[in-house]
Amino acid sequence: MDAASSNSVTFYDFLDRMRNPASIDLVGSIKSFIVSFSFHATNPVNDSKRFQDFLLTMESAIRDHPLWAGSSEEEVEQALEGLEKYVITKLFLRIFASSTEDVKIDHEITNKINLLQSFLKPEHLDIPSYLHNQSSWLLAEKELQKINASKAPREKLMCILNCCRVINNLLLNASMTENRVIAGADDFLPVLIYITIKANPPQLHSNLKFIQLYRRQSKLISEEAYYFTNLLSAKSFIFDLDAKSLSMDKLEFEERMEAAKASHQAAPVEPNAALISHHLTNIRGPPSYPFMDAQAEELTVRDVETLLSLYKDVVTKYTSLRRAVEKLNIHRPEQIVQKDKIGSTREVESEKVGIERSSAE
Amino acid sequence: MGCSSSLPDGSARRLSGMDQDSAVAPDAKNLRVKLVLLGDSGVGKSCIVLRFVRGQFDPTSKVTVGASFLSQTIALQDSTTVKFEIWDTAGQERYAALAPLYYRGAAVAVVVYDITSVDSFTKAQYWVKELQKHGSPDIVLALVGNKADLQENREVSVQDGLEYAEKNGMFFIETSAKTADNINQLFEEIAKRLPRPLTS
Repeated sequence: MDAASSNSVTFYDFLDRMRNPASIDLVGSIKSFIVSFSFHATNPVNDSKRFQDFLLTMESAIRDHPLWAGSSEEEVEQALEGLEKYVITKLFLRIFASSTEDVKIDHEITNKINLLQSFLKPEHLDIPSYLHNQSSWLLAEKELQKINASKAPREKLMCILNCCRVINNLLLNASMTENRVIAGADDFLPVLIYITIKANPPQLHSNLKFIQLYRRQSKLISEEAYYFTNLLSAKSFIFDLDAKSLSMDKLEFEERMEAAKASHQAAPVEPNAALISHHLTNIRGPPSYPFMDAQAEELTVRDVETLLSLYKDVVTKYTSLRRAVEKLNIHRPEQIVQKDKIGSTREVESEKVGIERSSAE
Repeated sequence: MGCSSSLPDGSARRLSGMDQDSAVAPDAKNLRVKLVLLGDSGVGKSCIVLRFVRGQFDPTSKVTVGASFLSQTIALQDSTTVKFEIWDTAGQERYAALAPLYYRGAAVAVVVYDITSVDSFTKAQYWVKELQKHGSPDIVLALVGNKADLQENREVSVQDGLEYAEKNGMFFIETSAKTADNINQLFEEIAKRLPRPLTS
Protein backbone atom coordinates (compact mmCIF):
# COMPACT_ATOMS: atom_id res chain seq x y z
CA MET A 1 0.00 0.00 0.00
CA ASP A 2 2.85 2.34 0.83
CA ALA A 3 4.39 1.76 -2.54
CA ALA A 4 1.08 2.47 -4.25
CA SER A 5 0.39 5.69 -2.39
CA SER A 6 3.92 7.03 -2.73
CA ASN A 7 3.64 6.09 -6.35
CA SER A 8 0.56 8.21 -6.88
CA VAL A 9 2.18 11.10 -4.98
CA THR A 10 5.11 10.80 -7.37
CA PHE A 11 2.77 10.80 -10.32
CA TYR A 12 0.93 13.93 -9.16
CA ASP A 13 4.25 15.57 -8.52
CA PHE A 14 5.17 14.86 -12.13
CA LEU A 15 1.87 16.31 -13.37
CA ASP A 16 2.42 19.38 -11.19
CA ARG A 17 5.81 20.01 -12.69
CA MET A 18 4.36 19.62 -16.14
CA ARG A 19 1.84 22.36 -15.33
CA ASN A 20 4.68 24.67 -14.46
CA PRO A 21 5.08 27.19 -17.32
CA ALA A 22 8.82 26.48 -17.30
CA SER A 23 8.19 22.98 -18.60
CA ILE A 24 6.32 24.10 -21.68
CA ASP A 25 9.01 22.70 -23.97
CA LEU A 26 8.76 19.26 -22.36
CA VAL A 27 4.98 19.30 -22.55
CA GLY A 28 5.29 20.18 -26.23
CA SER A 29 7.54 17.19 -26.89
CA ILE A 30 5.25 14.85 -24.99
CA LYS A 31 2.15 16.05 -26.79
CA SER A 32 3.68 15.85 -30.21
CA PHE A 33 4.99 12.37 -29.44
CA ILE A 34 1.53 11.20 -28.45
CA VAL A 35 -0.03 12.76 -31.53
CA SER A 36 2.66 11.28 -33.79
CA PHE A 37 1.49 7.83 -32.73
CA SER A 38 -1.80 8.26 -34.53
CA PHE A 39 0.03 8.88 -37.82
CA HIS A 40 1.28 5.32 -38.04
CA ALA A 41 -0.44 1.99 -38.20
CA THR A 42 0.01 0.09 -34.97
CA ASN A 43 3.06 -2.13 -34.99
CA PRO A 44 4.18 -3.43 -31.60
CA VAL A 45 7.88 -3.67 -32.41
CA ASN A 46 8.15 -0.23 -34.00
CA ASP A 47 5.90 1.37 -31.40
CA SER A 48 7.99 -0.05 -28.61
CA LYS A 49 11.21 1.14 -30.21
CA ARG A 50 9.85 4.64 -30.73
CA PHE A 51 8.59 4.79 -27.15
CA GLN A 52 11.87 3.56 -25.68
CA ASP A 53 13.83 6.05 -27.81
CA PHE A 54 11.48 8.80 -26.74
CA LEU A 55 12.07 7.97 -23.07
CA LEU A 56 15.84 8.15 -23.60
CA THR A 57 15.55 11.50 -25.36
CA MET A 58 13.31 12.83 -22.62
CA GLU A 59 15.64 11.51 -19.95
CA SER A 60 18.46 13.71 -21.16
CA ALA A 61 16.04 16.60 -21.72
CA ILE A 62 14.87 16.33 -18.12
CA ARG A 63 18.40 16.03 -16.74
CA ASP A 64 19.38 19.24 -18.54
CA HIS A 65 16.17 21.06 -17.73
CA PRO A 66 16.21 24.11 -15.41
CA LEU A 67 13.16 22.74 -13.56
CA TRP A 68 15.23 19.73 -12.50
CA ALA A 69 18.46 21.64 -11.93
CA GLY A 70 20.12 20.35 -8.78
CA SER A 71 17.65 17.49 -8.52
CA SER A 72 18.72 14.22 -7.06
CA GLU A 73 18.97 11.08 -9.16
CA GLU A 74 15.85 9.88 -7.39
CA GLU A 75 13.83 12.91 -8.46
CA VAL A 76 14.87 12.43 -12.07
CA GLU A 77 13.88 8.77 -11.76
CA GLN A 78 10.48 9.76 -10.43
CA ALA A 79 9.96 12.15 -13.30
CA LEU A 80 10.75 9.36 -15.75
CA GLU A 81 8.34 7.01 -14.01
CA GLY A 82 5.69 9.71 -14.20
CA LEU A 83 6.43 10.26 -17.86
CA GLU A 84 6.17 6.54 -18.66
CA LYS A 85 2.85 6.29 -16.89
CA TYR A 86 1.44 9.45 -18.45
CA VAL A 87 2.33 8.66 -22.05
CA ILE A 88 1.37 4.99 -21.85
CA THR A 89 -1.98 5.80 -20.26
CA LYS A 90 -2.70 8.13 -23.17
CA LEU A 91 -1.69 5.54 -25.75
CA PHE A 92 -3.06 2.53 -23.93
CA LEU A 93 -6.04 1.76 -26.14
CA ARG A 94 -3.85 1.93 -29.21
CA ILE A 95 -1.03 -0.26 -27.98
CA PHE A 96 -2.47 -2.78 -25.54
CA ALA A 97 -3.54 -6.12 -27.02
CA SER A 98 -3.56 -4.35 -30.35
CA SER A 99 -3.26 -7.31 -32.71
CA THR A 100 -5.96 -9.87 -33.34
CA GLU A 101 -3.27 -12.52 -32.93
CA ASP A 102 -2.61 -11.38 -29.34
CA VAL A 103 -6.30 -11.30 -28.54
CA LYS A 104 -6.58 -14.81 -29.89
CA ILE A 105 -3.69 -16.08 -27.76
CA ASP A 106 -5.20 -14.41 -24.68
CA HIS A 107 -8.46 -16.24 -25.33
CA GLU A 108 -6.73 -19.54 -25.88
CA ILE A 109 -4.82 -19.25 -22.62
CA THR A 110 -7.85 -18.15 -20.63
CA ASN A 111 -9.86 -21.04 -22.02
CA LYS A 112 -7.14 -23.57 -21.45
CA ILE A 113 -6.69 -22.42 -17.85
CA ASN A 114 -10.44 -22.64 -17.36
CA LEU A 115 -10.30 -26.27 -18.40
CA LEU A 116 -7.22 -27.02 -16.31
CA GLN A 117 -8.76 -25.39 -13.24
CA SER A 118 -11.44 -28.04 -13.12
CA PHE A 119 -9.03 -30.89 -12.35
CA LEU A 120 -5.43 -29.76 -11.89
CA LYS A 121 -4.01 -30.44 -8.44
CA PRO A 122 -0.67 -29.40 -6.91
CA GLU A 123 0.38 -33.06 -7.02
CA HIS A 124 0.23 -33.02 -10.80
CA LEU A 125 3.12 -30.55 -10.73
CA ASP A 126 4.82 -32.48 -7.90
CA ILE A 127 4.53 -29.55 -5.52
CA PRO A 128 5.64 -30.95 -2.16
CA SER A 129 2.95 -30.96 0.51
CA TYR A 130 4.86 -28.63 2.85
CA LEU A 131 4.35 -25.91 0.26
CA HIS A 132 0.58 -26.38 0.18
CA ASN A 133 -0.55 -23.24 1.89
CA GLN A 134 -3.99 -22.04 0.88
CA SER A 135 -3.72 -18.58 2.42
CA SER A 136 -0.35 -17.82 0.81
CA TRP A 137 -1.57 -19.15 -2.49
CA LEU A 138 -4.71 -17.06 -2.35
CA LEU A 139 -2.68 -13.97 -1.57
CA ALA A 140 -0.37 -14.65 -4.51
CA GLU A 141 -3.36 -15.23 -6.81
CA LYS A 142 -4.94 -11.95 -5.76
CA GLU A 143 -1.75 -10.06 -6.56
CA LEU A 144 -1.62 -11.56 -10.02
CA GLN A 145 -5.28 -10.86 -10.68
CA LYS A 146 -4.67 -7.14 -10.09
CA ILE A 147 -2.64 -6.95 -13.27
CA ASN A 148 -5.38 -5.10 -15.17
CA ALA A 149 -6.03 -2.64 -12.34
CA SER A 150 -3.49 -0.28 -13.83
CA LYS A 151 -2.48 0.72 -17.31
CA ALA A 152 1.07 1.64 -16.38
CA PRO A 153 3.71 -0.97 -17.25
CA ARG A 154 5.51 -0.40 -13.96
CA GLU A 155 2.40 -1.08 -11.91
CA LYS A 156 1.55 -4.16 -13.93
CA LEU A 157 5.07 -5.42 -13.34
CA MET A 158 4.66 -4.72 -9.61
CA CYS A 159 1.70 -7.12 -9.52
CA ILE A 160 3.94 -9.88 -10.85
CA LEU A 161 6.69 -9.04 -8.37
CA ASN A 162 4.27 -8.97 -5.46
CA CYS A 163 2.89 -12.33 -6.44
CA CYS A 164 6.41 -13.76 -6.67
CA ARG A 165 7.35 -12.25 -3.31
CA VAL A 166 4.47 -14.04 -1.64
CA ILE A 167 5.67 -17.33 -3.14
CA ASN A 168 9.24 -16.54 -2.11
CA ASN A 169 8.19 -15.93 1.46
CA LEU A 170 6.28 -19.17 1.45
CA LEU A 171 9.39 -21.01 0.25
CA LEU A 172 11.66 -19.29 2.74
CA ASN A 173 9.29 -19.91 5.63
CA ALA A 174 8.88 -23.53 4.67
CA SER A 175 12.63 -23.97 4.54
CA MET A 176 12.94 -22.54 8.04
CA THR A 177 10.02 -24.20 9.80
CA GLU A 178 10.38 -27.51 8.01
CA ASN A 179 14.14 -27.29 8.26
CA ARG A 180 14.49 -28.17 4.64
CA VAL A 181 16.95 -27.19 2.02
CA ILE A 182 15.66 -24.38 -0.15
CA ALA A 183 15.12 -25.95 -3.50
CA GLY A 184 15.19 -22.61 -5.29
CA ALA A 185 13.67 -22.55 -8.75
CA ASP A 186 12.91 -26.29 -8.56
CA ASP A 187 10.18 -25.34 -6.08
CA PHE A 188 9.49 -21.79 -7.13
CA LEU A 189 8.45 -22.33 -10.74
CA PRO A 190 5.94 -25.15 -10.13
CA VAL A 191 4.22 -23.08 -7.44
CA LEU A 192 4.12 -20.05 -9.72
CA ILE A 193 2.61 -22.14 -12.52
CA TYR A 194 -0.01 -23.53 -10.18
CA ILE A 195 -0.84 -20.04 -8.85
CA THR A 196 -1.12 -18.73 -12.41
CA ILE A 197 -3.59 -21.47 -13.26
CA LYS A 198 -5.60 -20.81 -10.11
CA ALA A 199 -5.60 -17.06 -10.72
CA ASN A 200 -6.21 -17.12 -14.47
CA PRO A 201 -5.03 -13.51 -14.70
CA PRO A 202 -6.82 -11.53 -17.40
CA GLN A 203 -5.09 -11.11 -20.77
CA LEU A 204 -1.96 -12.81 -19.54
CA HIS A 205 -0.20 -12.92 -22.88
CA SER A 206 -1.00 -9.31 -23.78
CA ASN A 207 0.01 -8.05 -20.36
CA LEU A 208 3.37 -9.78 -20.52
CA LYS A 209 4.01 -8.54 -24.03
CA PHE A 210 2.96 -5.04 -23.03
CA ILE A 211 5.36 -4.94 -20.07
CA GLN A 212 8.17 -6.26 -22.22
CA LEU A 213 7.58 -3.62 -24.88
CA TYR A 214 6.72 -0.59 -22.78
CA ARG A 215 8.41 -0.89 -19.42
CA ARG A 216 11.44 1.38 -19.54
CA GLN A 217 14.23 -0.89 -20.73
CA SER A 218 16.69 0.11 -18.05
CA LYS A 219 14.14 -0.93 -15.43
CA LEU A 220 13.32 -4.38 -16.72
CA ILE A 221 16.56 -5.87 -15.46
CA SER A 222 17.89 -7.85 -12.55
CA GLU A 223 15.33 -9.15 -10.05
CA GLU A 224 12.41 -7.60 -11.96
CA ALA A 225 13.55 -9.28 -15.16
CA TYR A 226 13.98 -12.60 -13.35
CA TYR A 227 10.48 -12.73 -11.95
CA PHE A 228 9.04 -11.40 -15.17
CA THR A 229 10.83 -14.22 -17.02
CA ASN A 230 9.34 -16.72 -14.59
CA LEU A 231 5.80 -15.64 -15.36
CA LEU A 232 6.67 -15.62 -19.04
CA SER A 233 7.82 -19.20 -18.73
CA ALA A 234 4.76 -20.14 -16.67
CA LYS A 235 2.63 -18.79 -19.50
CA SER A 236 4.62 -20.66 -22.09
CA PHE A 237 4.40 -23.87 -20.04
CA ILE A 238 0.63 -23.55 -19.72
CA PHE A 239 0.21 -22.72 -23.39
CA ASP A 240 2.08 -25.88 -24.46
CA LEU A 241 0.82 -28.00 -21.58
CA ASP A 242 -0.16 -31.56 -22.44
CA ALA A 243 -0.27 -34.90 -20.63
CA LYS A 244 3.54 -35.14 -20.74
CA SER A 245 3.86 -31.87 -18.81
CA LEU A 246 2.13 -33.28 -15.76
CA SER A 247 2.50 -36.19 -13.39
CA MET A 248 -0.67 -37.65 -14.72
CA ASP A 249 -1.68 -40.57 -16.86
CA LYS A 250 -2.04 -39.56 -20.51
CA LEU A 251 -5.46 -41.14 -20.86
CA GLU A 252 -6.70 -39.59 -17.64
CA PHE A 253 -5.47 -36.17 -18.75
CA GLU A 254 -7.32 -36.45 -22.02
CA GLU A 255 -10.49 -37.61 -20.34
CA ARG A 256 -10.36 -34.77 -17.85
CA MET A 257 -9.78 -32.22 -20.58
CA GLU A 258 -12.69 -33.62 -22.58
CA ALA A 259 -14.96 -33.62 -19.53
CA ALA A 260 -13.98 -30.04 -18.74
CA LYS A 261 -14.66 -29.00 -22.33
CA ALA A 262 -18.06 -30.67 -22.26
CA SER A 263 -19.08 -28.99 -19.05
CA HIS A 264 -17.88 -25.62 -20.32
CA GLN A 265 -19.83 -25.99 -23.52
CA ALA A 266 -22.83 -26.87 -21.42
CA ALA A 267 -22.72 -23.47 -19.77
CA PRO A 268 -24.37 -21.21 -22.34
CA VAL A 269 -24.49 -17.51 -21.71
CA GLU A 270 -27.08 -16.79 -24.33
CA PRO A 271 -30.50 -17.90 -23.24
CA ASN A 272 -32.19 -19.14 -26.34
CA ALA A 273 -34.99 -21.54 -26.81
CA ALA A 274 -33.10 -23.83 -29.16
CA LEU A 275 -30.37 -24.35 -26.60
CA ILE A 276 -32.81 -25.06 -23.84
CA SER A 277 -34.70 -27.61 -25.86
CA HIS A 278 -31.31 -29.11 -26.74
CA HIS A 279 -30.64 -29.48 -23.02
CA LEU A 280 -34.07 -30.91 -22.44
CA THR A 281 -33.64 -33.56 -25.12
CA ASN A 282 -30.27 -34.35 -23.63
CA ILE A 283 -31.86 -34.94 -20.29
CA ARG A 284 -34.72 -36.91 -21.78
CA GLY A 285 -32.45 -38.71 -24.22
CA PRO A 286 -30.58 -41.98 -23.74
CA PRO A 287 -29.28 -42.24 -20.18
CA SER A 288 -25.62 -41.20 -19.94
CA TYR A 289 -25.79 -41.56 -16.19
CA PRO A 290 -24.74 -45.14 -15.43
CA PHE A 291 -25.53 -45.05 -11.71
CA MET A 292 -29.25 -44.40 -12.09
CA ASP A 293 -30.20 -47.97 -11.27
CA ALA A 294 -27.30 -48.63 -8.89
CA GLN A 295 -27.69 -49.52 -5.23
CA ALA A 296 -25.44 -47.96 -2.60
CA GLU A 297 -23.88 -51.29 -1.59
CA GLU A 298 -22.83 -52.01 -5.18
CA LEU A 299 -20.60 -48.94 -5.29
CA THR A 300 -16.88 -49.07 -4.66
CA VAL A 301 -14.42 -46.36 -3.71
CA ARG A 302 -13.27 -46.34 -7.30
CA ASP A 303 -16.70 -45.10 -8.38
CA VAL A 304 -16.35 -41.95 -6.33
CA GLU A 305 -14.36 -40.17 -8.98
CA THR A 306 -16.83 -40.93 -11.76
CA LEU A 307 -19.74 -40.15 -9.50
CA LEU A 308 -18.22 -36.82 -8.57
CA SER A 309 -17.59 -35.85 -12.15
CA LEU A 310 -21.12 -36.88 -13.15
CA TYR A 311 -22.47 -34.95 -10.22
CA LYS A 312 -20.56 -31.87 -11.34
CA ASP A 313 -21.80 -32.36 -14.86
CA VAL A 314 -25.41 -32.55 -13.71
CA VAL A 315 -25.09 -29.53 -11.45
CA THR A 316 -23.44 -27.50 -14.20
CA LYS A 317 -26.18 -28.39 -16.65
CA TYR A 318 -28.86 -27.72 -14.12
CA THR A 319 -27.39 -24.35 -13.16
CA SER A 320 -27.06 -23.20 -16.73
CA LEU A 321 -30.55 -24.40 -17.52
CA ARG A 322 -31.95 -22.53 -14.56
CA ARG A 323 -29.99 -19.43 -15.47
CA ALA A 324 -31.30 -19.60 -19.01
CA VAL A 325 -34.88 -19.98 -17.85
CA GLU A 326 -34.50 -17.09 -15.43
CA LYS A 327 -33.05 -14.91 -18.15
CA LEU A 328 -35.94 -15.72 -20.44
CA ASN A 329 -38.36 -14.59 -17.77
CA ILE A 330 -36.51 -11.45 -16.80
CA HIS A 331 -35.42 -10.55 -20.28
CA ARG A 332 -38.51 -8.70 -21.44
CA PRO A 333 -38.75 -6.02 -18.74
CA GLU A 334 -34.97 -5.46 -19.07
CA GLN A 335 -35.24 -4.77 -22.75
CA ILE A 336 -37.92 -2.23 -22.05
CA VAL A 337 -35.65 -0.52 -19.51
CA GLN A 338 -33.03 -0.12 -22.20
CA LYS A 339 -35.41 1.18 -24.81
CA ASP A 340 -37.60 3.48 -22.79
CA LYS A 341 -36.80 4.44 -19.24
CA ILE A 342 -40.10 6.11 -18.44
CA GLY A 343 -42.06 3.25 -19.89
CA SER A 344 -40.06 0.70 -17.90
CA THR A 345 -40.63 2.52 -14.64
CA ARG A 346 -44.29 2.34 -15.34
CA GLU A 347 -43.89 -1.33 -16.16
CA VAL A 348 -42.07 -2.01 -12.87
CA GLU A 349 -44.67 -0.06 -10.96
CA SER A 350 -47.50 -1.92 -12.54
CA GLU A 351 -45.66 -5.13 -11.70
CA LYS A 352 -45.38 -4.04 -8.09
CA VAL A 353 -49.02 -3.22 -8.01
CA GLY A 354 -49.65 -6.62 -9.49
CA ILE A 355 -47.65 -8.30 -6.71
CA GLU A 356 -49.40 -6.30 -4.03
CA ARG A 357 -52.72 -7.07 -5.53
CA SER A 358 -52.04 -10.75 -5.78
CA SER A 359 -50.74 -10.88 -2.22
CA ALA A 360 -53.82 -8.96 -1.09
CA GLU A 361 -55.94 -11.58 -2.74
CA MET B 1 21.71 -32.18 4.64
CA GLY B 2 21.06 -28.48 4.70
CA CYS B 3 23.22 -26.23 2.66
CA SER B 4 23.03 -23.59 5.35
CA SER B 5 24.09 -25.69 8.29
CA SER B 6 27.78 -25.01 8.61
CA LEU B 7 29.52 -21.71 9.08
CA PRO B 8 30.38 -19.44 6.21
CA ASP B 9 34.03 -19.81 5.36
CA GLY B 10 34.53 -16.08 5.63
CA SER B 11 36.95 -15.83 2.76
CA ALA B 12 35.32 -12.81 1.24
CA ARG B 13 37.19 -10.23 -0.73
CA ARG B 14 40.20 -12.13 -1.71
CA LEU B 15 39.78 -12.17 -5.41
CA SER B 16 42.99 -11.77 -7.26
CA GLY B 17 44.24 -11.63 -10.76
CA MET B 18 42.00 -8.83 -11.95
CA ASP B 19 43.91 -6.38 -14.04
CA GLN B 20 43.70 -2.64 -14.11
CA ASP B 21 42.96 -2.57 -17.80
CA SER B 22 39.26 -2.16 -17.35
CA ALA B 23 39.14 1.20 -15.67
CA VAL B 24 38.38 3.30 -18.72
CA ALA B 25 34.85 2.37 -19.75
CA PRO B 26 32.28 4.24 -17.64
CA ASP B 27 30.93 1.26 -15.72
CA ALA B 28 33.98 -0.93 -15.98
CA LYS B 29 34.45 -0.34 -12.28
CA ASN B 30 31.12 -1.88 -11.47
CA LEU B 31 30.29 -4.90 -13.52
CA ARG B 32 26.81 -6.31 -13.43
CA VAL B 33 26.77 -9.92 -14.50
CA LYS B 34 23.84 -12.15 -15.27
CA LEU B 35 24.67 -15.71 -14.26
CA VAL B 36 22.30 -18.55 -15.00
CA LEU B 37 22.37 -21.87 -13.15
CA LEU B 38 21.44 -25.03 -15.03
CA GLY B 39 21.34 -28.63 -13.92
CA ASP B 40 19.12 -31.47 -12.88
CA SER B 41 16.84 -30.92 -9.89
CA GLY B 42 18.47 -32.04 -6.67
CA VAL B 43 22.08 -31.43 -7.69
CA GLY B 44 22.30 -28.54 -5.24
CA LYS B 45 22.22 -25.53 -7.56
CA SER B 46 20.56 -23.26 -5.07
CA CYS B 47 22.72 -24.54 -2.21
CA ILE B 48 25.86 -23.47 -4.04
CA VAL B 49 24.46 -20.00 -4.46
CA LEU B 50 23.20 -19.70 -0.92
CA ARG B 51 26.58 -20.79 0.32
CA PHE B 52 28.24 -18.20 -1.88
CA VAL B 53 25.90 -15.40 -0.88
CA ARG B 54 26.01 -16.14 2.83
CA GLY B 55 29.71 -16.96 2.83
CA GLN B 56 30.35 -13.51 1.45
CA PHE B 57 28.28 -12.01 4.17
CA ASP B 58 29.20 -8.47 4.89
CA PRO B 59 26.74 -6.19 6.68
CA THR B 60 27.50 -3.33 4.34
CA SER B 61 26.93 -5.19 1.09
CA LYS B 62 23.50 -5.28 -0.39
CA VAL B 63 22.35 -8.86 -0.70
CA THR B 64 19.15 -9.98 -2.31
CA VAL B 65 18.10 -13.32 -0.98
CA GLY B 66 15.10 -14.84 -2.63
CA ALA B 67 14.46 -18.49 -3.08
CA SER B 68 15.53 -18.53 -6.68
CA PHE B 69 17.05 -15.14 -7.50
CA LEU B 70 20.05 -13.98 -5.58
CA SER B 71 22.52 -11.23 -6.11
CA GLN B 72 25.85 -10.68 -4.51
CA THR B 73 28.47 -8.05 -5.11
CA ILE B 74 32.08 -8.90 -4.60
CA ALA B 75 34.90 -6.42 -4.43
CA LEU B 76 38.05 -7.17 -6.33
CA GLN B 77 41.57 -6.15 -5.43
CA ASP B 78 41.68 -3.47 -8.08
CA SER B 79 38.68 -1.78 -6.42
CA THR B 80 36.29 -2.83 -9.15
CA THR B 81 33.18 -4.65 -8.11
CA VAL B 82 31.33 -7.50 -9.77
CA LYS B 83 27.66 -7.85 -9.00
CA PHE B 84 26.53 -11.37 -9.74
CA GLU B 85 22.84 -11.61 -10.48
CA ILE B 86 22.16 -15.28 -10.15
CA TRP B 87 19.21 -16.77 -12.01
CA ASP B 88 18.22 -20.20 -10.84
CA THR B 89 16.28 -22.44 -13.20
CA ALA B 90 13.95 -25.32 -12.47
CA GLY B 91 15.84 -28.52 -13.19
CA GLN B 92 12.92 -30.91 -13.67
CA GLU B 93 12.66 -32.45 -17.11
CA ARG B 94 9.23 -30.96 -17.80
CA TYR B 95 10.66 -27.42 -17.69
CA ALA B 96 13.63 -28.10 -19.97
CA ALA B 97 12.04 -26.32 -22.92
CA LEU B 98 11.77 -23.09 -20.91
CA ALA B 99 15.51 -22.74 -20.26
CA PRO B 100 16.22 -20.47 -23.26
CA LEU B 101 14.00 -17.81 -21.69
CA TYR B 102 16.42 -17.76 -18.75
CA TYR B 103 19.84 -18.05 -20.37
CA ARG B 104 19.08 -15.45 -23.03
CA GLY B 105 21.48 -12.58 -22.45
CA ALA B 106 23.40 -14.35 -19.69
CA ALA B 107 27.11 -13.57 -19.46
CA VAL B 108 27.80 -16.72 -17.46
CA ALA B 109 26.22 -20.14 -17.34
CA VAL B 110 27.09 -22.52 -14.53
CA VAL B 111 26.13 -26.09 -15.32
CA VAL B 112 25.92 -28.20 -12.19
CA TYR B 113 25.86 -31.95 -11.71
CA ASP B 114 26.04 -34.21 -8.70
CA ILE B 115 29.21 -36.34 -8.57
CA THR B 116 27.16 -39.17 -7.07
CA SER B 117 24.81 -39.33 -10.07
CA VAL B 118 25.85 -40.29 -13.58
CA ASP B 119 22.40 -39.24 -14.79
CA SER B 120 22.93 -35.71 -13.61
CA PHE B 121 26.29 -35.66 -15.45
CA THR B 122 24.55 -36.77 -18.64
CA LYS B 123 21.99 -34.03 -18.13
CA ALA B 124 24.79 -31.51 -17.62
CA GLN B 125 26.24 -32.48 -20.99
CA TYR B 126 22.84 -31.88 -22.55
CA TRP B 127 22.82 -28.35 -21.11
CA VAL B 128 26.32 -27.66 -22.37
CA LYS B 129 25.27 -28.62 -25.91
CA GLU B 130 22.14 -26.47 -25.57
CA LEU B 131 24.19 -23.47 -24.48
CA GLN B 132 26.73 -23.94 -27.25
CA LYS B 133 23.93 -23.97 -29.78
CA HIS B 134 21.68 -21.25 -28.40
CA GLY B 135 23.57 -19.26 -25.78
CA SER B 136 25.30 -15.99 -26.58
CA PRO B 137 28.61 -16.74 -28.33
CA ASP B 138 30.84 -15.13 -25.71
CA ILE B 139 29.11 -16.74 -22.73
CA VAL B 140 31.45 -17.96 -19.97
CA LEU B 141 30.71 -21.61 -19.24
CA ALA B 142 31.53 -23.37 -16.01
CA LEU B 143 31.02 -27.05 -15.24
CA VAL B 144 30.55 -27.82 -11.57
CA GLY B 145 30.56 -31.24 -9.92
CA ASN B 146 28.79 -30.68 -6.64
CA LYS B 147 28.52 -32.83 -3.50
CA ALA B 148 32.25 -33.51 -3.58
CA ASP B 149 32.04 -34.35 0.14
CA LEU B 150 30.24 -37.59 -0.73
CA GLN B 151 33.38 -39.37 -2.00
CA GLU B 152 32.15 -42.83 -1.01
CA ASN B 153 29.15 -42.49 -3.36
CA ARG B 154 31.05 -41.00 -6.26
CA GLU B 155 29.81 -42.11 -9.69
CA VAL B 156 31.53 -39.50 -11.85
CA SER B 157 35.30 -39.32 -11.66
CA VAL B 158 37.16 -36.02 -11.50
CA GLN B 159 38.91 -37.07 -14.69
CA ASP B 160 35.62 -37.45 -16.59
CA GLY B 161 34.41 -34.04 -15.49
CA LEU B 162 37.70 -32.37 -16.28
CA GLU B 163 38.07 -34.00 -19.68
CA TYR B 164 34.58 -33.09 -20.74
CA ALA B 165 35.06 -29.50 -19.59
CA GLU B 166 38.40 -29.12 -21.37
CA LYS B 167 37.02 -30.54 -24.56
CA ASN B 168 34.30 -27.92 -24.47
CA GLY B 169 36.41 -24.98 -23.40
CA MET B 170 34.78 -24.72 -20.00
CA PHE B 171 36.11 -23.99 -16.59
CA PHE B 172 35.78 -27.03 -14.29
CA ILE B 173 35.63 -27.32 -10.54
CA GLU B 174 34.27 -29.71 -7.95
CA THR B 175 32.49 -28.13 -5.02
CA SER B 176 30.73 -29.01 -1.84
CA ALA B 177 27.96 -26.67 -0.87
CA LYS B 178 27.82 -28.56 2.40
CA THR B 179 31.38 -27.89 3.50
CA ALA B 180 31.72 -24.73 1.38
CA ASP B 181 34.70 -26.28 -0.40
CA ASN B 182 35.62 -24.40 -3.57
CA ILE B 183 32.46 -22.30 -3.53
CA ASN B 184 34.26 -18.98 -3.47
CA GLN B 185 36.91 -20.26 -5.87
CA LEU B 186 34.13 -21.01 -8.35
CA PHE B 187 32.95 -17.43 -8.39
CA GLU B 188 36.47 -16.01 -8.31
CA GLU B 189 37.42 -18.03 -11.36
CA ILE B 190 34.28 -16.91 -13.12
CA ALA B 191 35.11 -13.28 -12.36
CA LYS B 192 38.59 -13.80 -13.86
CA ARG B 193 37.14 -15.16 -17.05
CA LEU B 194 34.62 -12.39 -17.61
CA PRO B 195 35.20 -10.35 -20.71
CA ARG B 196 35.98 -6.89 -19.37
CA PRO B 197 34.49 -3.87 -21.08
CA LEU B 198 36.70 -2.57 -23.84
CA THR B 199 39.14 0.11 -22.86
CA SER B 200 39.01 2.02 -26.10
